[in-house]
Amino acid sequence: MLSFNKGTRASAAFLLAFALVLAAFTGKNFLEMRLPDRVVPAPGFTSHMLSEWFPNISGTPVDTPVFTQDSGVPGGSVLIMGGTHPNEPAATMTAVIFLERANVSRGKLFVIPFANMSAFGHNSPQEASPQRIHFTLPDGSVRSFRYGSRATNPVHQWPNPDIYIHEASGQQLSGSEMANLNRAHPGVEDGPLTQRLARGLLELLLREEIDLAFDLHEASPEYPVVNAIVAHEKSMMLAAMVTMELEARGVPIRLEPSPKNLRGLTHREWGDATATMPILMETGNPSQGRLRGRTDEDLVMTGQDKFYAKAAELGRLFIPYVTDQPMDLRVARHTGSILTFLETLEFLDPEIAITVEGVPSYGEILEEGVGAFLSPVPDQ
Amino acid sequence: MTIVYRAIALFILVFVLRCMFREKDFWKQVTATMVVIPLVLRILLIK
Repeated sequence: MLSFNKGTRASAAFLLAFALVLAAFTGKNFLEMRLPDRVVPAPGFTSHMLSEWFPNISGTPVDTPVFTQDSGVPGGSVLIMGGTHPNEPAATMTAVIFLERANVSRGKLFVIPFANMSAFGHNSPQEASPQRIHFTLPDGSVRSFRYGSRATNPVHQWPNPDIYIHEASGQQLSGSEMANLNRAHPGVEDGPLTQRLARGLLELLLREEIDLAFDLHEASPEYPVVNAIVAHEKSMMLAAMVTMELEARGVPIRLEPSPKNLRGLTHREWGDATATMPILMETGNPSQGRLRGRTDEDLVMTGQDKFYAKAAELGRLFIPYVTDQPMDLRVARHTGSILTFLETLEFLDPEIAITVEGVPSYGEILEEGVGAFLSPVPDQ
Repeated sequence: MTIVYRAIALFILVFVLRCMFREKDFWKQVTATMVVIPLVLRILLIK
């Protein structure tokens, strides 16, 4: 007989059994996050793994799918990468939209929707983030995608040092940045997993002679580099033209030069180490900001938060925030910006331009929502 | 490195369970139960 005052061996055994049941339940829940999200590539895409370009990550949790669509018509090569930080879901969803809708009629398109696959497999501790976000499709079916962490899963890469030293520059950062893919570029051939992943991405850029590469992100609304394009010197002319075009179309966006002394980021290292024109883009995501209140799927999808509304009233935000910042808007911004880049590239350097059709415009995504442009997953 | 980490976690788990079964206060046993769950997940490299 259990007593709630007196502890006995029987009560200990009962509680241990209860703990093991809870551990099994939560363990299953956590392990399910490591299962890859299903995508439905548009016709013409072929599926590869990054390890085909860089075997050092073969069989590791950071090896990630790379989808390519080669039109067969001479033109440029463009890479669209989401998922550097899996807690920035508009980046991933933009890459997925291109993957599931794009029809390339000139040049070659590369899409990496889940750049840091390991980081998709867990949530950041103490952030109370949801594990998944859901989209309803026109046929009524629902698709879900993981909301992961900024960092590589510590189960896969551990421990972090007290100070992370970026190998190529000697730059010192907080030890936790060791697991941040966007501080790991250009990567280390035999380094820790995150650094090897970065090296694999560099190898892809070099071997495929990528002309224009997008690394998509989201940022806190109170962070100055938000609703922004960050461009390396070699991308600056193109990015400036795109910024003016977007502003003219009523899409406010900042243009930031890539700092020369902030190392390890795509917009710096890809530009320095390859012939690629790198572009990093940020949208405003209240679910990753420090001012947010309740953190759940609703916040991720709508961006509605009374504390951010108050911060906006006080003029503390760097995005035009009234009552929300929905996923549809954030994906529309990224998608519309990429399409504008591709249009502008045609004017700037027609030899490396690519033609992509079938991808919804900024206005179409705003009007119909992201779910309208995802494909139903076929039955297994 | 990871095997050392797991060994330390297992060592702590064994002592938590030892204390749990010797404890005479039910609510302190409940507290030990809450400690057991993350230790199990860590030993199994789940979380």
